[in-house]
Amino acid sequence: MQSANMLLKKIVRSSVLPFAAQHGMKKDLFPLSRTLSLSLCLKQDNSCSPSEKLDLDAWKKVMKSGLQEVVNETVSERKETSTLAAAREMLEMWRLAGKSVPENISEEQLKTFMECTSKSAQKKYLKYLHLKELHKKNDKRKMEEKKERRLEAQEQASETDVTKKNSFICLWANCMDKVHNWRAAQSMIFGQPLVFDMSFEKDMSVREVANTVRQIVLSESSNRRSIDPFHIHFCNFKDESLYHKEFIKHYREAWGKLLITVTDQCYTEVFPKDKLIYLTADSPKVMKTFDHNKIYIVGSMVDRSIKTGVSLARAKRLGLETAALPLEKYLLWNTGAKNLTLDQMMQILLTLKDTGDWQKALEFVPKRKYCGFVNKPVHELRKTVSLINALKLGKRQEEVRKQFAKNYSKKQTQK
Amino acid sequence: MALFSQTSLHGFQALLCKYRMFWPVSRCPQLFAVSFRIPSREKVNYFSFMTSSNAALPVDPKGTDVVLSRKRSEIDYEEEKAWNKEAEEISEGKLHSSSSVRAPKKQLSSHALLRHQFTTVQPPEKPLQAEEWKRLRESFQSPEIFEEVMLNSMVKCNSPIDVAKSLLTHVAKSNGDIAYKLLVKYLVLCVQQRQTSEILDVYDIMKSRFKIIESGAFTLFIRGLSNSDQWRKALTILEEVKKMMPPSRAQYESCIKAASRHQEMNPAFELYHEMLAKDLVPTLDVLQAFFNFSRGMKGAELQKELFGILLYLRENQLYPHKTFMRSIKLWFESVPERNWRGHLTSIKDSGQCPVCNRRLEDSNLTEEEYNNLSERIIKDVIHGTDTFRKTSPQEFEAFQKFVENRLPFDVVIDGLNVSHINPRKMQCENLFNAVNYLAKKNTRLLVLGRKHMLINSSNWKKEIMEEMQNKADFFFAENISEDDAFLLYATLRSGKHCKFVTRDFLRDHKACLSDSLTRHLFRKWQRGHQIAFFPSAEGKHIHFLPALRYDCVVQTTGDTWHIPYKDIFEEKYSYQVPRKWLCIQQK
Repeated sequence: MQSANMLLKKIVRSSVLPFAAQHGMKKDLFPLSRTLSLSLCLKQDNSCSPSEKLDLDAWKKVMKSGLQEVVNETVSERKETSTLAAAREMLEMWRLAGKSVPENISEEQLKTFMECTSKSAQKKYLKYLHLKELHKKNDKRKMEEKKERRLEAQEQASETDVTKKNSFICLWANCMDKVHNWRAAQSMIFGQPLVFDMSFEKDMSVREVANTVRQIVLSESSNRRSIDPFHIHFCNFKDESLYHKEFIKHYREAWGKLLITVTDQCYTEVFPKDKLIYLTADSPKVMKTFDHNKIYIVGSMVDRSIKTGVSLARAKRLGLETAALPLEKYLLWNTGAKNLTLDQMMQILLTLKDTGDWQKALEFVPKRKYCGFVNKPVHELRKTVSLINALKLGKRQEEVRKQFAKNYSKKQTQK
Repeated sequence: MALFSQTSLHGFQALLCKYRMFWPVSRCPQLFAVSFRIPSREKVNYFSFMTSSNAALPVDPKGTDVVLSRKRSEIDYEEEKAWNKEAEEISEGKLHSSSSVRAPKKQLSSHALLRHQFTTVQPPEKPLQAEEWKRLRESFQSPEIFEEVMLNSMVKCNSPIDVAKSLLTHVAKSNGDIAYKLLVKYLVLCVQQRQTSEILDVYDIMKSRFKIIESGAFTLFIRGLSNSDQWRKALTILEEVKKMMPPSRAQYESCIKAASRHQEMNPAFELYHEMLAKDLVPTLDVLQAFFNFSRGMKGAELQKELFGILLYLRENQLYPHKTFMRSIKLWFESVPERNWRGHLTSIKDSGQCPVCNRRLEDSNLTEEEYNNLSERIIKDVIHGTDTFRKTSPQEFEAFQKFVENRLPFDVVIDGLNVSHINPRKMQCENLFNAVNYLAKKNTRLLVLGRKHMLINSSNWKKEIMEEMQNKADFFFAENISEDDAFLLYATLRSGKHCKFVTRDFLRDHKACLSDSLTRHLFRKWQRGHQIAFFPSAEGKHIHFLPALRYDCVVQTTGDTWHIPYKDIFEEKYSYQVPRKWLCIQQK
């Protein structure tokens, strides 16, 4: 039966019987055959045998029949919106092509995207938005799960119905806030000043400024929670600057109530010069102990694009003393830059202030950056490191050097 | 039903993935029954989790078997995987949640991860029926990305196009539509196998189905069509792209190659100039195509264009590689009635070409270039955004005064750099040797150092330092200042004849310069004025390498051309120049 059908089909296809097809007699001719209907909702037929010839181009027909009506593009009056719409469509196509593009994008983000100067900048920005979106979705999902769990727990609790007796009213967060604020207020009067230098805005991109502010917000909160907080000063702080806008974004109405000193003056005008120490990783001087009578300055800057010596230059210009953390001395450095984030810096300084113990303080350096603490004097350590290197290279260091020199001269002669 | 532990199942699955094998999950149980003997204690623990949402109910070990067999059939692989993760993390006390079972924990961009993991599904060799595809899809770990992974591996294995078609047909029939992503992947396969008619079909389908097409697919269309006899269609598609956005380099280049392959040089050059006008940097590949396809053609216009390309190489200090050089040579020799002859050679240190005995261009800059470069070095390298970063205004001023009073110098030495040449000697001794060697025939030397050299230490002996200061002028910068910037300034101020001595490649200083033109000038000047050195074998002497006298760029005198080229295998840094040349002259 099948084969007969196939044969007949072929006959029709080779248009021996065109009139039959035209006159709609196909159905009468092959009452049992499987015709390929080109409709969208095609039911899978289970009776097909593996020997049957596959129609390989069926997908094309499906695609062509499933066409949307051609959209008549209305020319919009303002050109501005039309380019934006075109960009939006473009992004949608990129998303369909499986690139990292966010599903929803706001007008503002779209404009930022259009202002990107290069293709790679556009790609980076889109990827950033895409990741942000994914994180948001995941967070939302987790929140919902949590909600479900809480409801279930409540149900269970209502079943068991146990009333607890407690002599405290549960107001933890509130109480803690009050305690912290008292301490911060005390530090405003008696505390040791710590200066954040806010003069780096022009050295940073918008994203870097946002990161900086986020780090400062973290440092401020960890300072507030500490036993003996610093009195934080924001110096060189210009109103209506990018910093300011970002801070408002984070703190909202709490910005006016923060227990810190914000000033547009330079730290050299506020404090005596001989008491100031500028902390910077580029400094040639290494901090030995934490001095309670000095005022430390931290440059509020995130430099994703590595800018060496910017904060050192500031200190040189004003003739201030500088210092770097003794990372080399206490840590077996492994990888990464020696500039730490502002919140890490804050934690380190707070710990030093409370205990004076370097080992405890440097716990806050990210673990990936060092291999371990050093308890031995440095020259012994150097020996160990050179030994490690020698073992790694399987040669004595001298030989390695010689080898290098030889290669070098070869390079030179090739030049 | 064989009993086996969840973890070992998972572990074995992972193992299988690792070894790049594709097992239908349904077969795994039998395998495990063979491979693992599981202690019953473990099993009980795991399934007590799985029984129900509230694990408060005690589970008796006997009941687990029943539960297990029931659950096995219900839980699909995804959940199982999530399970094992959870099971490792969650301690018994926290098990009040049902959600951890219901909703598998998906990582961020888990799809991307999966894509990496399972890109080695073996595609079938023959077109399959819809039924068979369905079965395959269901046996795949994460069915939602099955088609993508399958098409990817088809592209990788270069499967026959019919197999891909049968997959698309299956998708079209079950969903009534094919995702854009899949179409693009299918298109990649078509382009790879040069199926022109298929490419055109996909083009029509995309045009009618989607409002716009993104640049990736356009690139594929253009590449696919430009390699076929339908290449004119590629040019029209390029025009279409132009209406929407500036075309990419790849799109331009495919079209240019297609046009020049069919000896249509004019449109090819038009596109090439259009591309340059848009600041796209052409690959050497496309420039080579021009020379290849215009071999033996006549025309003053054409010749002018090709000379233009050679001059483009000159302007941008680009060096053709060996095969490209060969194309150039062959084109020159094929030009009718001009009798060009090319020879491969290397240039002597004196700057003379051994083939035609002509002197190559001098490496000296013009007066204007000199002044321009000095200004830029002061502005960008020394001052930059903040003078205090590398020096301080007082110090720089003092240095300028010092230099002005003692001009001109013949050689400027980077003292600290030279002092490290031989690690077995004292640093001041090394420097002393170098100064002695260079201070012949009343050459005026300037040695730059830092202030710590003046403090008597094991490496810097006061007596030797004093002796040296009789032979040369010394300038000591602050310990945290950059001495290299001073080196450049002093050399440039002294004039054309002045050379400087350092092993530093000066890459970071070059990078400070803001525009590429000045960077090229800087490199050219550096090649002509840097004296490099290396210690002799026994470490007693220092050998100095003289600076290059000739300029290493593509150059012409009208009736000769000299073109430096590089071997493909030789890594080239921006401070290295090729030593091999192609010399072309008219007989």
